[in-house]
Amino acid sequence: MVALYRFLLLILFTLPAQAERCVVDDINHTVCLPKPAERIIALSPGATELLYAAGAGSKVIAAVTFSDFPEAAKALPRIGSYNRFDMEAIVAAQPDLIIAWKEGNPREQVAQLRDLGLPIYHGDQRDFQDIASTIKRLGILAGTEQEANAEANRFLKGIDHFRQKYEDTTPVRAFYQVWVNPLMTANKSHFIGHALTLCGGDNIFAELPRLTPRIGVEAVLAADPEVIIAGGMAEDDPGWLDAWRPYNNLTAVQRGNLFFVPPSTLQRPSPRLLDGIELLCRNLETARGRR
Amino acid sequence: MAAVEALRRRSVPLLLLAAASLICLAVSVSTGSVAISVGELWAVISGGGEPLHRTLILELRLPRSLAAFATGGLLAVAGALMQVLLRNPLADPYVLGLSGGAAVAALLCMLAGMPPAVVSIAAFAGALGSAVLVFGLAHGRGSWTTTRLLLTGVVVSSGWGAVITFMLAVGPTEQLPGMLYWLMGDLAYARSPWPALIILALTSLILLPLGRSLNVLSRGPMQAAALGVAVRPLEWSIYGSASLLTASAVTTAGSIGFVGLVVPHMLRLVLGNDQRLILPAAALTGGALLVLADTLARTIIAPEQLPAGVITALLGVPTFLYLLYRSR
Repeated sequence: MVALYRFLLLILFTLPAQAERCVVDDINHTVCLPKPAERIIALSPGATELLYAAGAGSKVIAAVTFSDFPEAAKALPRIGSYNRFDMEAIVAAQPDLIIAWKEGNPREQVAQLRDLGLPIYHGDQRDFQDIASTIKRLGILAGTEQEANAEANRFLKGIDHFRQKYEDTTPVRAFYQVWVNPLMTANKSHFIGHALTLCGGDNIFAELPRLTPRIGVEAVLAADPEVIIAGGMAEDDPGWLDAWRPYNNLTAVQRGNLFFVPPSTLQRPSPRLLDGIELLCRNLETARGRR
Repeated sequence: MAAVEALRRRSVPLLLLAAASLICLAVSVSTGSVAISVGELWAVISGGGEPLHRTLILELRLPRSLAAFATGGLLAVAGALMQVLLRNPLADPYVLGLSGGAAVAALLCMLAGMPPAVVSIAAFAGALGSAVLVFGLAHGRGSWTTTRLLLTGVVVSSGWGAVITFMLAVGPTEQLPGMLYWLMGDLAYARSPWPALIILALTSLILLPLGRSLNVLSRGPMQAAALGVAVRPLEWSIYGSASLLTASAVTTAGSIGFVGLVVPHMLRLVLGNDQRLILPAAALTGGALLVLADTLARTIIAPEQLPAGVITALLGVPTFLYLLYRSR
């Protein structure tokens, strides 16, 4: 009797752990793993961040160059860059899950990895919901559902907080400068565009068709934004804003609404967006106060 | 007696080059970011070995090395043919706009989000389409000179170049890296080496009997006609086969530069200008050079990967300059 009881207990506790775990990825492929992934390779810096966010950081065995967040990711072995990776190194590492980046990775090589029988999750995050659902799905694949769900919910709650705070504020006409030579901005589909909308900003280039359109200085002058926000390459202000100061008839220049926001927190699909959005919202709020 | 002597003079360098090509292929298959011993390599070749090593060698390295060999061979033979046809030392497989036509078609498909297989087919069609366009334009109303052909080709190439730049300028940012890497040419995208290898072997066989006529043609169409060569059909078949060779190469690995221009010249400097020797030698040398270049490209700074074209030029330029310097 005791033996039977033990046996039933054993089944009860082992079954859920052994059950096949399946998720649908962003190209509508169903990815199934017989057991939680233990050896994960991330093929983009964003995927690395999302895996750590999902509580699966300790299961990541290799990443691509520029996977610099969180701090622990810097120590991961590298298997090349997101658009040129070492196929041999990937196969030799014997991963049980690969997180690919739909837009960035060379499709032929990802297809070849799949043909070799490696389980591949294709990620493509376009909005805040995608980030949260990716974290949850990665949590399922890695068997870290609890941490992943908590982080996804924390992220969504953070986004909701900003939405409620700025929903009814008057819109501020804003220009976000992604790059200087050529002059580039972001449209409404970019994370920067989503962040601007969330903070009650009115992106003057929201409707352009390309994600990061190239524009001319004249277009900026004609749209006359109330605030200009510039990114850069890394954490330091590259001084792009100084080039706008001579244009005295720009409202943004007259009111002194020229701000620098480090791009690392605004361009990668990760929960770190909350930090970037907070800074962005604060700058727009300052601009609102200077009317 | 003299014929036997001539045959031997031709077969010795070819045998040496064939041996060198085999060595290059062997080096390529045994080198990579994962170290595999010679014994383990032999086990895999003879049908055994660890599953991981089998995958690395049979699924990753061997197809890629063979594709590199075929692409290099195709480009070098196409370059040698173009140089004979146009009687211009600067001619290369791309001089008549084939790579531009292929690139425009391939990039259009990438912009439309087509799968890789469609991109390859489009590249092939684009290359042949450009060849037909240039040929038709140069042919015009009957007057057909090599200068006219060359000029038409150069101008059409520039046209393709402008279209490519336009597409890169207006294309979505997230697709730019893929498009740029296709333009640089890379063997990481080569999936199956067999179509290219078969075309290389078939064209080489077809061209062999034409060697003597090609030799005569390279002295000029007048001399060739005087010596009984049917110049126009010969020129057309050179044009057709060079286009086919280049189109297959571009389809396999994008536009890899340099091999088609310089390998035939290198061989002429060393072996003399006998097309019966130069064409097969070009197939072997071009193939071996690209195999070597690609092996280096995927290992020098591994796990980072370089495009093979970079290494081809870095290896080829000093070799060529040395040969040119020595030949004075």
